[in-house]
Amino acid sequence: WLASSSLFPLSCIHTRASLQKIGKWEKKNRVVYPPQLPGEPRRPAEIYHCRREIKYSKDKMWYLAKLVKGMSIDEALAQLEFNDKKGAKVIREVLLEAQELAVRKHNVEFKSNLHIAESLTGRGRYVKRIRYHGKGMFGIMKISRCHYFVKLVEGPPPPPEPPRTGFDQAKEYVQQLRNRTLVHTL
Amino acid sequence: ESILRPGSVPSCLVVPVRTKRKFSVPEWARELSPEEKEKRLKFSEPIFPDERVERTFYLACTGDIIDPYVPPEGDARLTSLSKDGLKQKMEKLKQTAASQLALRKIKDHDSEFSTKTFPEKAQEIFIEAHNSLANFNKQKLHSLVTERCYPEMVRGNRYKTIRWSFVESLEPPRVVHVRCDSIVNRGNLYGQVTVRMHTRQILAIYDRFGRLMYGGEQLPKDVLEYVVFERHLVNPYGTWRMHGKIVPAWAPPKEPIIK
Repeated sequence: WLASSSLFPLSCIHTRASLQKIGKWEKKNRVVYPPQLPGEPRRPAEIYHCRREIKYSKDKMWYLAKLVKGMSIDEALAQLEFNDKKGAKVIREVLLEAQELAVRKHNVEFKSNLHIAESLTGRGRYVKRIRYHGKGMFGIMKISRCHYFVKLVEGPPPPPEPPRTGFDQAKEYVQQLRNRTLVHTL
Repeated sequence: ESILRPGSVPSCLVVPVRTKRKFSVPEWARELSPEEKEKRLKFSEPIFPDERVERTFYLACTGDIIDPYVPPEGDARLTSLSKDGLKQKMEKLKQTAASQLALRKIKDHDSEFSTKTFPEKAQEIFIEAHNSLANFNKQKLHSLVTERCYPEMVRGNRYKTIRWSFVESLEPPRVVHVRCDSIVNRGNLYGQVTVRMHTRQILAIYDRFGRLMYGGEQLPKDVLEYVVFERHLVNPYGTWRMHGKIVPAWAPPKEPIIK
């Protein structure tokens, strides 16, 4: 015997009109890991967040995403606040939302203890429109939109990689020479 | 149409200038007043106003605990000192008129009910419900717990792992409070029984990443609970299910320490 609803339905009754296709990045937040044994090191929390269909070009957004990648969240917010681009405002909102989500839902203790592990842009849906020129001429313009994806990881940001020096390259070259062996011989 | 095929357009194309349209909505587009609508509907068949699409729903549980039991202060702390005094108090409470009336009504509908055998069954239901919560066995949980209690138990737990185990019962469970009420229609009876349980339990909640959030696997905790069980008496196939817990005013839930 099944009861269809009670006097005070606290949970929603699922109807057909749910959101169309939940994106892959949003689904990454649903992964549940098995409980850790007491001896293991604490697994850092990973929070995936994105915003879809931002009215901005994906190439222009890429510069900002590359700027923010690898920084700690406070640093990223500070840099974006004083950046003049339109996308900077949007990314700042996304980062603040993600920080809020992390603290509320994903059991992150300190909101400053996050760093940006990945930040990507993607192409949204493009739409073609007519752009009117003088003398009755026209052109077809494309209204471009982009998506922005962010992955926040708990912990201090990883130290930046030291740039490759000539000495490293020389070492690798010598190592390659040393790795050579003779094949199919005594 | 020539605009849509840009390749075939000659270099000098004159597009007619569009003038701004002023306020003129055609008759078929503007909203009709009710009289006009009636005139329109004369030829179509009349819709009988009696036809109402009814969606029946079935109430399997009450929304709230009726007349919540007020546990005496210092219930668990004074048992060692004045056992007899408390026992007398408990017996007195049982004998209150309302509880007795409700008990009689329940016994009318369900002849097998007895205040002596019920607490054990209640405890079994309690343990099974918590076990199926730990395993996320939704169907079993729905059969053991009413619809009012289910969201309270399950909210926020979808992405967490819960480990719960029952160590032992420190005192035998006791029926403390009985109420019987009907909602919506008269005669639609629901019976609610409060059982007092003093038990030892282990609870450990892990968050999405497997990190320990609350409790611990090796920490048994003593718990004094007043659990309310409910049953739809009029339904011959009704079962006793967990309906909720009563939090006494003198023991508010403390803020859990997040590890």
